Amino acid sequence: MSWEEVPGFVEVKEGHGETTVVVERERIRDACLYARDELGFDFLADLVATDYLGWDEHAVSGYIGTAAGRDLNVPMTQGFQALPQGKPKRFSMSYHLLALKHGAPRVRLQCWLDDGDEIQSVVSVWPAADWHEREQFDLMGIQFVGHPNLTRILLEDDWEGHPLRKDYPIGGEPVRFSDAE
Amino acid sequence: MTIAPERPAGARQWPLVGEPPYEGSRIPARVPTILDVPPALREVDDVLQVNFGPNHPSTHGVLRLIVDLDGEQVVGLSAVIGYLHTGFEKNMEQKTWWKAITYTARVDYVGYQNNELVFVLAIEKLLELEVPEKATWMRMLLCELNRIHSHLVYLGTSALELGAISMFWYCFRERETILDLFEMVCGARMHTRYFQAGGLAEDIPAGFFPECRKFVDLMPSALDDYLAILDRNQIWLKRTKGVGLLSAEDAIALGQSGPVLRASGVDWDLRRGAPYLAYDQVDFRVPVYTGCDVYDRYRVRMDEMAESTKIVRQCLDRLERMEGQPWIADDRKVVLPPREELHTSMESLIHHFKIVTEGYRVPEGEVYVAIESPRGESGVYVVSDGGPKPWRVHFRAPSFAALEATATCTHDALIADLIAIVGSLDAVMGDTDR
Amino acid sequence: MAKRLRDYGLQSERLLWPTKGPSKFEEELGVDELEQALGLTTLEKAVRWAQTKSMWPDTFGLACCAIEMMSIVGARYDLARFGMEAFRSSPRQADLLIVSGRVSHKMAAPLRQIYDQMLEPKWVIAMGACASSGGMFNNYAILQGVDRIVPVDIYVPFCPPRPEALMEGIIRLHEAHLAGVPPAYERRQVAT
Repeated sequence: MSWEEVPGFVEVKEGHGETTVVVERERIRDACLYARDELGFDFLADLVATDYLGWDEHAVSGYIGTAAGRDLNVPMTQGFQALPQGKPKRFSMSYHLLALKHGAPRVRLQCWLDDGDEIQSVVSVWPAADWHEREQFDLMGIQFVGHPNLTRILLEDDWEGHPLRKDYPIGGEPVRFSDAE
Repeated sequence: MTIAPERPAGARQWPLVGEPPYEGSRIPARVPTILDVPPALREVDDVLQVNFGPNHPSTHGVLRLIVDLDGEQVVGLSAVIGYLHTGFEKNMEQKTWWKAITYTARVDYVGYQNNELVFVLAIEKLLELEVPEKATWMRMLLCELNRIHSHLVYLGTSALELGAISMFWYCFRERETILDLFEMVCGARMHTRYFQAGGLAEDIPAGFFPECRKFVDLMPSALDDYLAILDRNQIWLKRTKGVGLLSAEDAIALGQSGPVLRASGVDWDLRRGAPYLAYDQVDFRVPVYTGCDVYDRYRVRMDEMAESTKIVRQCLDRLERMEGQPWIADDRKVVLPPREELHTSMESLIHHFKIVTEGYRVPEGEVYVAIESPRGESGVYVVSDGGPKPWRVHFRAPSFAALEATATCTHDALIADLIAIVGSLDAVMGDTDR
Repeated sequence: MAKRLRDYGLQSERLLWPTKGPSKFEEELGVDELEQALGLTTLEKAVRWAQTKSMWPDTFGLACCAIEMMSIVGARYDLARFGMEAFRSSPRQADLLIVSGRVSHKMAAPLRQIYDQMLEPKWVIAMGACASSGGMFNNYAILQGVDRIVPVDIYVPFCPPRPEALMEGIIRLHEAHLAGVPPAYERRQVAT
């Protein structure tokens, strides 16, 4: 089994013991169907949208590790920070799939979208996606084409805006002596 | 909505036990989570729409069910959630990694340590941090105690709703003992906040192991008490057997996990299938039943309580030999140095300051970590940008998935059965709404 | 010298902190006008005693605090000794609303509706940090304190409060009522 046969395949990334298969946004439903039928990933664990607005605007640092492990006397990366790699588009949609077999193989199907892009709903592939897609529509504003009931689920029906986007303020009330916290 | 093509039956390789209780699929065709009133019924008969509003006496929190009734029979069902939406995910993006762990306990507020565990495991996975043995076993012990706690709350409240009111007091008697143990370990009964990235916040206090042994010795007789009250009670059996059927195929399609899936005959437990912590080193059985109804979900949870007691006993045996071992990793970039060192070492002082004010930095990456919480597969998807605060945290809530199955389970059900079904799915609204 | 509430029989505050300043009740009633506000006839005292001994709460459990509220009904922290174990499902039959848990904006409307459906006299206990002030959730989704929509008598802090802490709140409410302190909607002169 090779990941290149997934419809709309773009690339595969491995990290922290996890496999991420990036597919094209237009073919995501075909990719999910392929994963369910051919590869045996019957269980949709999760469906997550991530907003990367402002990702490449602030510096990040990783760890300084020495060969023998991390050393108390090696300083942090002040002044040597790098800018993170930019992401292809603003939103990523990740589908976390699980096969109910020995070894619990997992995969993350991922596709990228811009604000206003539409993505096909996978409710007909896994009915569990119903509420997950409604939640991502509610909190992130992703439009799912083909969803039978795309309405707000966690917030009130007349709420304006999509709170989990990075340009939506945290809300609440101002607190003295605290900036963001 | 275009229906996906049918899979050939031989392609499914699930660890299945038993026969399905009904042919085909009972997932509603139009919207999978809404049971629609048949149009013929609407014309002929008087269908009453009733609101099981967010405030109702069943203690499952703020769930709203809009139920269409034909007499006593439920012919239409739709669930409205969101009355406890707290914005955890947005809030956690504003806090440092250390402070964000505090939020996680409030998500599934009955199995709180499981949420903390899954988030802390995600941080450790991104950091590639090794956790000492003592912390791993203690985490396992506490999570199993939390599993017993969660199932006791389930049993007490479900029995209360079905009329077996005295079960509530029996279950809460043992629950108080468990909460005493949690209080001994970290000072708080609920929302213990005992797990840190790297291990435990503090060493295990003296006197914990004998108290925990006392609990482990008394728990089997308590379980016998519960079985004696409920298991041969004709009313309980009539109200739970054959009610709320959910076949294995429907359960997997709806993303069910945990006791609901195991009561439908699927032998799937993340502690066995993908062991985390030290579950591959302890001996326990995974209860699987084939009845697919409310009664079997109850039996799965009862058996899980017995198995958890066994696991706790094995953890105690191992932990008692680990006196004096470290309880947190030694990585000073992430873990606070011991307080005595702050007087003598300048680097310790600086690291302490940086970790507390700015927070430790977690390398860039994304991970998804899942564990077997009392409700099923509880997972967290964490995206880190390399900074001191998480970029995106998303909880995979087993209760969210469980409530999606209410419409499918409620076929030919009466109102009284609806209460039993919603209780058996064991949804915690904090977990559902996050 | 103006009489203080503790002179009317409010025991718990004196035991905990003898030199404490005016309590919330006294502040709202006005420390100098306390005499006028709290004159009670013997019949009123008897009625208040009866109301205190069977103040039935409404099942308004929202989140984690609800689990601790359930545990005060349990055998160890027995609420039945105060006559309060009968949690009424219908707000029409309830006297006390223990708002236990975080109140989201979506839930605020049902909360106000439940409060309106309760009959006078009625009291509200804001249990936990989330109900008192929004708690750790200072964000778009959570009402920053339930006293923005209902008048609150007692605030019980912590996250979640120990059952004993909730009980202390309930006992203080009983004592205040016995001493003659009016419920919050009267003190703050808001619509009931």
